[in-house]
Amino acid sequence: MAFATDAPGGASGTARGLESFSYDDAVVRKFMLATLVWGFVGMLVGLIVAIQLVAPVAHDLTLMGGRPFAFLKPVLEPIYSIEWLSFGRLRPLHTNAVIFAFAGNAIFCAVYYSTQRLCKTRMFSDLLSNLHFWGWQAIIVSAALTLPLGLTQGKEYAELIWPIDIAIAVVWVGFFGVNFFGTLLRRRERHLYVALWFYIATIVTVAVLHVFNSLAIPAGLTQSYPVYAGVQDAFVQWWYGHNAVAFFLTTPFLGLMYYFLPKAAEKPVFSYRLSIIHFWSLVFIYIWAGPHHLHYTALPAWASTLGMLFSLMLWMPSWGGMINGLLTLRGAWNKVAAEPVLKFFVVGVTFYGMSTFEGPMLSIKSVNSLSHYTDWTIGHVHAGALGWNGFMAFGMIYWLLPRLFQTTLWSKALAEWHFWIGTIGIFIYWISMYAAGITQGLMWRAFDQTGVLVYPDFVETVMRLMPMYVFRVIGGALFLGGVVMLAINYFMTWRTRPARYEVSLVQAAPLHDYKAPRAPASGLENVIPIARRADVFFQLNWHRRWEGLPVRFTVWVVIAIVAASAFEFIPTWIVEANRPSIASVTPYTPLEQYGRDIYVSEGCYTCHSQMVRPMRHETERYGQYSMAGEFVYDHPFQWGSRRIGPDLHREGGARSHVWHLDHFDNPRAVVQDSIMPRYSHLLTQDIDFGAMEKRVSALAMIGVPYGEALKDVEGAARAQAAQISAEMVEQGGPDGMQDKAIIALIAYVQRLGTDINKVAPAEAGQ
Amino acid sequence: MTRHTSEHHPDLLGDPGKDRILEHNYDGIQEYDNPTPGWWHWLFWASIFFSVIYTMFWHFSELSWTEHQALDRAVAAHYEKIFASVGELPPNDETILMLMHSDDPDIRNLQLVAKGTFTAKCAACHGATASGGTGPNLTDDTYINVKKLTDIPNVIANGAKAGAMPAWKGRLTDNEITLMASYVASLRGTNVPGKQAEGDVIPDWPAYTPETK
Repeated sequence: MAFATDAPGGASGTARGLESFSYDDAVVRKFMLATLVWGFVGMLVGLIVAIQLVAPVAHDLTLMGGRPFAFLKPVLEPIYSIEWLSFGRLRPLHTNAVIFAFAGNAIFCAVYYSTQRLCKTRMFSDLLSNLHFWGWQAIIVSAALTLPLGLTQGKEYAELIWPIDIAIAVVWVGFFGVNFFGTLLRRRERHLYVALWFYIATIVTVAVLHVFNSLAIPAGLTQSYPVYAGVQDAFVQWWYGHNAVAFFLTTPFLGLMYYFLPKAAEKPVFSYRLSIIHFWSLVFIYIWAGPHHLHYTALPAWASTLGMLFSLMLWMPSWGGMINGLLTLRGAWNKVAAEPVLKFFVVGVTFYGMSTFEGPMLSIKSVNSLSHYTDWTIGHVHAGALGWNGFMAFGMIYWLLPRLFQTTLWSKALAEWHFWIGTIGIFIYWISMYAAGITQGLMWRAFDQTGVLVYPDFVETVMRLMPMYVFRVIGGALFLGGVVMLAINYFMTWRTRPARYEVSLVQAAPLHDYKAPRAPASGLENVIPIARRADVFFQLNWHRRWEGLPVRFTVWVVIAIVAASAFEFIPTWIVEANRPSIASVTPYTPLEQYGRDIYVSEGCYTCHSQMVRPMRHETERYGQYSMAGEFVYDHPFQWGSRRIGPDLHREGGARSHVWHLDHFDNPRAVVQDSIMPRYSHLLTQDIDFGAMEKRVSALAMIGVPYGEALKDVEGAARAQAAQISAEMVEQGGPDGMQDKAIIALIAYVQRLGTDINKVAPAEAGQ
Repeated sequence: MTRHTSEHHPDLLGDPGKDRILEHNYDGIQEYDNPTPGWWHWLFWASIFFSVIYTMFWHFSELSWTEHQALDRAVAAHYEKIFASVGELPPNDETILMLMHSDDPDIRNLQLVAKGTFTAKCAACHGATASGGTGPNLTDDTYINVKKLTDIPNVIANGAKAGAMPAWKGRLTDNEITLMASYVASLRGTNVPGKQAEGDVIPDWPAYTPETK
């Protein structure tokens, strides 16, 4: 590399056939700033939702004989009473912001910086780079506006409404993908370095996941229904959800690690062979692991087994990445002591190793029976998100700051402080969530000697967690405090940048026609020919050839992920036995479906599951376990992944309408220690009866058999609302509620899980 | 790449100095020609081997069982443990009074079971101490839909007041309904302060006369 002042003429083409060019660092600076800004926003929202889970009872918490949080009551009250700030709406904002805005921009920052240098070329198109940047930021802003308004698709990590989904596909494939692959094709470095393999896997797989999980039929600009229902929707969703972890939070960050860690350590990568083996095994095996999110649900048993076993097999491929990262630091550990960048990387990679050990462990069915629906999972994902994604991103930013702003880092000491406060924050968060998860998991399943639940009152198991929830707030606040330190360092470093950035000119020779290196002959003697061929194969020279052929390389990645997906999907789709039907299960009425849309919109699934597992402590607590055939009209499925509140699948008919009315208005009026937000707005908001026909028609288009019911959607809905309202009056409730949204929600809740006790329509007609 | 990588054992903790470096150079990043660590290989193979055995046992052998079978066994065992000694519990005066008053330790035990069920299913409306909430106070002498003892199992089974009291038939077994009726009946007159009395004062429950056998 030579600086502009040294460059021979600055023009491209020299006597030696070298071409001169410069890297586009301006777009990298933009992505870096966006990483910081959205990281702060996403984590701040995380802190708010963590506070929300203690806020409703905080004034009552005792500590050392006193009530230290009593004075906070007036401050805290709004955050569980205002509809736009309710946990169910903010939690998706937190997850989307941290994953797609913070981690997303960090990925783009890493990709745009390293790809240019690894390919010895400028990005394919500056226009596409900028369209990518601004397009992605516009998507984030629209997410931040729509989610608090309750506009959501109700699928975890895929909540954004369909117009934003389309924008994501355009920006990801059309801007980012084209720009990246265009750069690969224009490269001046023959072979693709391992970081680029991981970027390739990221781009193609995320595109496939996003498109297939988001297939939906719109029923208006902000409303849509996924084409899949029930078990299939759950299956597709967790194929997506798990692989979002794999291909959004793992592979691109491994790519980041493979570039920035050896750069910062100034050491060669430990093992090229390990890179090859762990890359391909990771890409192929990860795809299968999704069903481990659905153990003991209505998913077929074989799918659950696949999810568990492929997760176990994933342990070593994941650790291959950790080993290659940590062992690259051999001989450089003295630098780790002195350099905050390397400290962030070491802890980041270590957390990657811990999370990828814990992940397979949690996917073992018997472990999962304890951990599922508890905070153990929350602890697990935050070890990954804060430890691995967060610290890798921070390490990268600290390494980039002096280079991109062409100055020195303002304060190394502050970076050290950030490292330590962040690390302590993660540990407090992580350990408190483990303690909370295991505590609650054990309380749910505890039977006394008579065989009766020891803690039949669900809220008791929640109250036990409150001290841990307070510690989580402290841990999260420390971590966010570290980000503020980064922001200060960032700003102060930026202030000392030169008046004009120096653009360095780089020289490299263009690629000539590729001659594949010849595979060496086998040195084995006195063996059969096939052994000699195997010997040559395991030298991996064929892979070296692929590294020079990006199109072929990409095609093989696509084949790996599509084949793995097809093996999983096709049996679920075609084997009829996997889709048992129950004759008495009928579609939701238009009013119930409208109520269900409210349930989805309010993000009830972020705290309530609708999936009673076949275990005695669950059937004792909730009732008959859930069966696949009960969910055939659930677009989208709402099985949930966490029980901050109890399961709701058998809620229908278990309580009176008036109970629900009072409870939605103010949960604490009915359940003293409840931490559920208030939904008073639903008592005043009117039902939009006119909107129902469009929604029901959309569902009919994707196979929900409404038949005759489509003729008078509004009339039927009004009749049912009037009936519920009348029952409510008879139960001693208020009159005149038949036009209010709460009636639709109650209609839905009272329908939940009741069909199995009804007589099938065909039989009833006889 | 030479074909002798596997013969070299890199020092994982110490100095990489003896490792062979490849001729790769990407923006200054180089790579060693080290083999994958042996323990890594073996654990990878072990996870694959385990997966084959696991699949064969759980999906292709006669010895395995499903989670639903396990649940059915656990439920049957529990029901057997709780109700085996008393058999069927018809919802009549004699049975309810027996469940309320018998000194038999098995019957007292059943009342503990009933108390747990009450906390799980009834407390949400009637309160943890049965002193009322959305639903009426069950500890006073007044009743809304109950005139005589056998009305209690009927109200529990079929509900009342347009669903203000939900129907528990199908959610609780017949035995559990009778048992719950006896538990609720025994709460009468404990007069836990709570919701104001609703309904009418009704005659006392019939007297308990233990059968002599």
